[in-house]
Parts: sequence; structure tokens; C-alpha cells
Amino acid sequence: MPLYVEKKPERLITEEGVRTDGRLPHEIRPIRMTVGVLERADGSALVEWGGNRILAAVFGPREVHPKHLMLPDKALVRARYNMAPFSTPERRRPGPDRRSVELSKVIREALKPAIFVENYPGAVIDIFVEVLRSDAGTRVAGVTAASLALAHAGIAMRGLVAACAAGRVGEFVVCDPNHDEDMWGEADMPMAMMMESRKITLLQIDGPMTPEQFEEALNMAKRGIEFVYELQKEALKRPYVLVERRIRGV
Amino acid sequence: MLESESVVNTLLRDYLYDLVKEGKRLDGRTFDEIRPIEVKEGTFTKSEGEAWIKLGKTQVLVGVKFDVGEPFPDTPDKGVLVTNAELLPVASPTFEPGPPNEDAIEISRVVDRAIRSADAVDLNNLVIKEGELVYMIFLDMYVLDHDGNLDDALTIASLIALGRAKYPKVIYKGDGDVEVLDEKESLVLKDLPINFTFVKIGDALLLDPVLEEEMVAEASITIAINQEGKVCSIQKRHGYFTMEEIKKAVEIGRSKWTDVASVIRREI
Amino acid sequence: MSKLFKGEIYVQDKEVVVPGQPLARGLKPGKNVYVDEDKVIRAKKIGLVSIKDDGEVNVVPLAGAYMPKEGDIVIGIVSKISGSTILVDIKAPYQGAIPIPRGRAAERVDIFKYDLKPGDVILAKVKSFDGSSSLLLTIDLEGLGKLEGGIVIEVQPAKVPRIIGKRQSMLNLLKEKTKSDIIIGNNGRIWVKAPSHKELTALEKAIREIEEESHVSGLSDRISSLLDRELG
Repeated sequence: MPLYVEKKPERLITEEGVRTDGRLPHEIRPIRMTVGVLERADGSALVEWGGNRILAAVFGPREVHPKHLMLPDKALVRARYNMAPFSTPERRRPGPDRRSVELSKVIREALKPAIFVENYPGAVIDIFVEVLRSDAGTRVAGVTAASLALAHAGIAMRGLVAACAAGRVGEFVVCDPNHDEDMWGEADMPMAMMMESRKITLLQIDGPMTPEQFEEALNMAKRGIEFVYELQKEALKRPYVLVERRIRGV
Repeated sequence: MLESESVVNTLLRDYLYDLVKEGKRLDGRTFDEIRPIEVKEGTFTKSEGEAWIKLGKTQVLVGVKFDVGEPFPDTPDKGVLVTNAELLPVASPTFEPGPPNEDAIEISRVVDRAIRSADAVDLNNLVIKEGELVYMIFLDMYVLDHDGNLDDALTIASLIALGRAKYPKVIYKGDGDVEVLDEKESLVLKDLPINFTFVKIGDALLLDPVLEEEMVAEASITIAINQEGKVCSIQKRHGYFTMEEIKKAVEIGRSKWTDVASVIRREI
Repeated sequence: MSKLFKGEIYVQDKEVVVPGQPLARGLKPGKNVYVDEDKVIRAKKIGLVSIKDDGEVNVVPLAGAYMPKEGDIVIGIVSKISGSTILVDIKAPYQGAIPIPRGRAAERVDIFKYDLKPGDVILAKVKSFDGSSSLLLTIDLEGLGKLEGGIVIEVQPAKVPRIIGKRQSMLNLLKEKTKSDIIIGNNGRIWVKAPSHKELTALEKAIREIEEESHVSGLSDRISSLLDRELG
């Protein structure tokens, strides 16, 4: 018997397109990114996106254990998406479920095309995505955080991978669906891109959309991704900028 | 020392033992000095009480969640406290993903024992219908960055998280069913049992060891002291201690209790 | 930077760039960059742009793991003796191996050098590396072998060139001011034997500052005054 009951809002969006959190269809939630939050990981990032709190860490390139997984000509890339017991309204049992196994794979496939795996033959790059607080869109926030952690670890990459979801609520296509829209909306479409080369590395759709809505959703997600990408670049450079400012006394 | 951190370089070992003979530590602290405790501001979980703390470079995050359920048959008049610790793979290159191992389970039980033996959480207060329905408290401890002394860091974070926790009031409707109210109740912390971990290097007892010290130490022990200065729980880890050394460790813990407790109280 | 070359440059020299960032077009690609389908030179890693006089575009990385190269001097920790091989952790994705000379080969070397146990710290040279699995080290040269006394400081491998400095200027500064013996491994391990813990602490502070501030010019002066402050 649950102590925390989810209440469906009376309506998800007004006729004018105002959403349950007050946003308009094209608007994205507030996002803050910080790299280098962990000492012992080779690369790390914390992404605060709406109510999401996602911590990503990267180790490697390092030795592969067990040895038989080693690839002779390129790096093995592993990713784990994990939700904390305290990340959801009701306490989650620790350990992987089918959803987190799938998301681990989807996140890995979203990041792998961006990594120069051929530069690290026989090694492994481990990516860990820890969802500390979940509030719709954890996989896109997770990809965004993991990509930052990879770059922060100094791994050779074709470019950063940025992500954002679009969705359909009634007849509206919306950017970055919130919790209500994720729960009760009609469609959800997480997407990730290597922004510099405009290549899509993650795309999933759950829920029906007409061809017109689908095209609108693609554009909506892409605009969100462009915004996320700008924040990523700033977050990666920020520590260096801050040190320089401190020294120069600006 | 965790079993998983076992490669010791001999130069580090020799250096630390020589340093201790001069009365010094690697980071310049005195033997009984605790690293700075910093509590990170912000909301990082969806729990009813949380704390992300840094003890030096060690970082842990603790979240407290509530549910309702049946009491244990032998304590029908008490709420249920469930503790769980995870050594996340993000925290150290030697931590592997997977279910909690021996180290994680031991740490979780050491923190649990301190809290339970001091009766720090008033479980009597958490009964909805005796013998049928009580509140369950889930204390989930996450290790994010491992630079030594996870036990003390997790204990401090747990006490802050518990002290901050608020649970929704309910009205019992019979048949194991409740009506959940909007009104919240604060969890009552009756005591602050604080763990103090020491390692032995040569003849010295070092409080709040960093990872390097843990790696080379001959022995380690964790002692919980409560507000009355009572020893509430002890966990001797690897190695051995003399009677005198243990008494000395208890005395140091007692003398440091107020400092740590004031940090915890300030944050609740 | 003289402009004796043709092409477009999209960044400032010494600017911090991130992976994928476009740097130039029509110039010569150097280290830690790649050329995309549209012939644009892009950064592979987070780092500082360095454009040579001949128009070669490089990125000097600010982070990243140590990748072994033949001829590198590394500081290793013996992890295991396995039959006739000494396995060595060199903070790389690959374990180093030192075959223990037997029979006639043993007569030609100082066999006592090979009397090592797990945990011992050694100075070794990368003899050969096939790029993915077989990494051979040697200690059979003057000055190589077990390091006695002192302590090892771990640093970011990407910052090693800055800790050494141009023509060893930074290393010499560190040695002089702290009166310490210092050996820098290419793999991001630094062996230090300091007169006392005070000098070691000062040295470690200096090294951390080099790691953090390597992208801002005037580093030597700042390090010099830091050491004077700490040891003064």
C-alpha cells in the first residue's frame, strides 16, 4: 500500500499551450552542469535538470577485467545506468531491473559513436550513470552527463553528445517532457546527437505521432539539444576559466 | 581497510611509518584531528531527509525514505528501520558494480548498530496500529568518493539525514489501509551516536584515516560514542589492538564527540 | 605566430577547446585533432590549442590517461611475480612485464636487480609495446631498477610535460627550492626524496598548483613564490 500516491492533474496542457509546470511547449527546464565533482573518478559530472540529479563518472581507458572481454583493436565501452533507492517517490529496491538494463545499453550506444575507440586497443572505458533523483528524462540527462564525464576524463572523442527529449501531450508537441507529461502524455521521444556533425546517436519513441507531429518533435528535440550542447561546452571550460580569472584577479 | 583495496606500495608504507615516529601525518593533521566536514547545499534526492557530506575528499550521500508496513512479530509496538549501504563504482576504481559485497554490508551494519544501540531513532513513535501497521524507515547510504573512513562519514550523513527527515501523517482506516494526510511530522532523534574510526600505524592511533593510511595500517577499529559519553558499539576490523590502545581510542572519541555533534546539530 | 600559411582559423592560440570543436580548415592537422568529412580540423580532447609557425594545428591535452610509448621512463609498482615474469602496474591500461633473465642471459645482467617483490617501486623503461597487449619493460640499464626510500606522488599524466617544463626548467626549480631528489615518470608518477616532510608538503602543493594552473601563463613565477612562501 503506497504512502505516496501519484495524482493525475486535471489537464496536462491548456488550450493556449501552458503546461503543468507553467512552461510553453518549446521551453526547456532549468539546467545546471558541473564537471569534476568527484576526486577519484577519471572524469565526472553532475547534471541538475529540472528535478533530475544525475551523477556520471568515467574510469579509463583502463585494463579489462575479465580478460576475455578484451578487444584486440579497440576499446571496450561499458555503461551502467543505475537508479538510487531514494531517487523515486516510493523507495526503489536497489539493483538492476529490466528497464535499467535496457537504458544502460541505449546510453552506451548513444556515446560509443563519439569515442575514438580505435585509440585505445585492448582497454576498457567504464561509464557509470547514477540517477540520484529522477524527474522525467533521466536517460537524456544521463547521456548529457556521461558525455561531459568522458570529455572531462580526457578521452579522445569526435565531439560531445548532447541529448533532450520531445513528446506529445494531446495535440501539442512539447520539448523536454516533465513528470506529468511523461506519466500521462501521449508520446515520449528521447534523442541524442553529436551536435557538431548533426548525427543522431539515440532515438526512441514511445507513443503514437502523425508524420507531421514526428517531424515537429524531431525539430523540437534538436532545438533542445542545441541549447544543452551550449551548456556542456561552457561547463567543461568553466573550471579553467575560473582558475584564470582568480590568477588574473578579474 | 576494505578488502578490495589491497595493493600497497612499500615506499608509501615505510614513509608513513617513519612519519608517524616523528609525530606527523601525511596531510599535516595531528593524530586525533578529524578532516573538515562540509555539508553540500541543495536537493539531490527524492527522499524525506538527505545529506551529501564531504569528510575531506571522501563524499557520501544518504537519503531517508518512509513507507508503511507490518511490524516485526517480536516488536509489534515499534517502527522498522532498514539500512543499506552501497559502495558505488563511481567512488573508486576498485569498486565494482553489483549487489553489496562484504565490505558494504559490514559498513551498513556498523552504522546501523550505532544508531540502534543508542536508540537514537524513536521507533516507539512510529506505530500506526500496534501489531498491524507501522512506519518503515529506509536509510540508504551511497558512497560517492572514497578517500578513507567511510564509516564515520556515513554515520554523520545518516544522522543529519534522519534529523532532517519528515514523514506524512496518516489516519488508520482499518484492514491495513491508511489515509495519507498532507501534514508532515519530523522524525525524533533522541541521541547522536557518532562513530570514530582509528587505524594503527606503528605505535600511533590515527583518527579519521585517509585512504593511504587505511591501506598501510596494521589494524583498524570503529567506536560509536553517544551524547552521554557511553560506548554504544565497536567494530574491530583487521589486525589487533592492546587493551590500552582501545581505552585510549574510546577516550579520544569521547573528547571529540562535541565537535562532531555540533556540526550535525547545526545542519538539522 | 607568423601567418605564412593559407587557411581559416576559428580559435585563438592557447584557447581551451573541447572535443569536436572546430579549430581550422586548410591547415596541417597535428596531435590530438582529427579532420572531418568537410576537411575541418577538430579537437579530439579537452586541451589548449597550439598552432605552430608552419600552420600545424595541435591540441595540448589538459586531461587523459597515460598511453605507453617505446622509450618512455615510467615509475611502476610491482603487482605480481608470475613464474619467470615480473608484472608491473604503470598506471596505464596495460600491465608492464619484465622477463626474469635465466641461464646464460642471467650472466650478462645484474641479477640482484630482479629480486623484487609485490609492492616494490621501480624505475623502468618501456622496451617495446605492440599497442594493445604486450608491454615489455626493462630495468637492465644504469639508474633503472628498484627505488629506495622516498615516496611516490601521483599526478595527472597530461600535466607531466608542464611539471618538467621547457628544458627541465620547472623540474630544476622544484629540485633546487625543495632540495629534493625528484624523478618524473612519463606515466604520471613522481618519485621524491625530500630532506624532511616540510619540503615534501611544499613540493606536493607546488605540483598540485602546476596541475591546476598549467593553462595560465606565468606559471614558473607563481610556483617559485609559492615555494618561497612555504619554505621561507
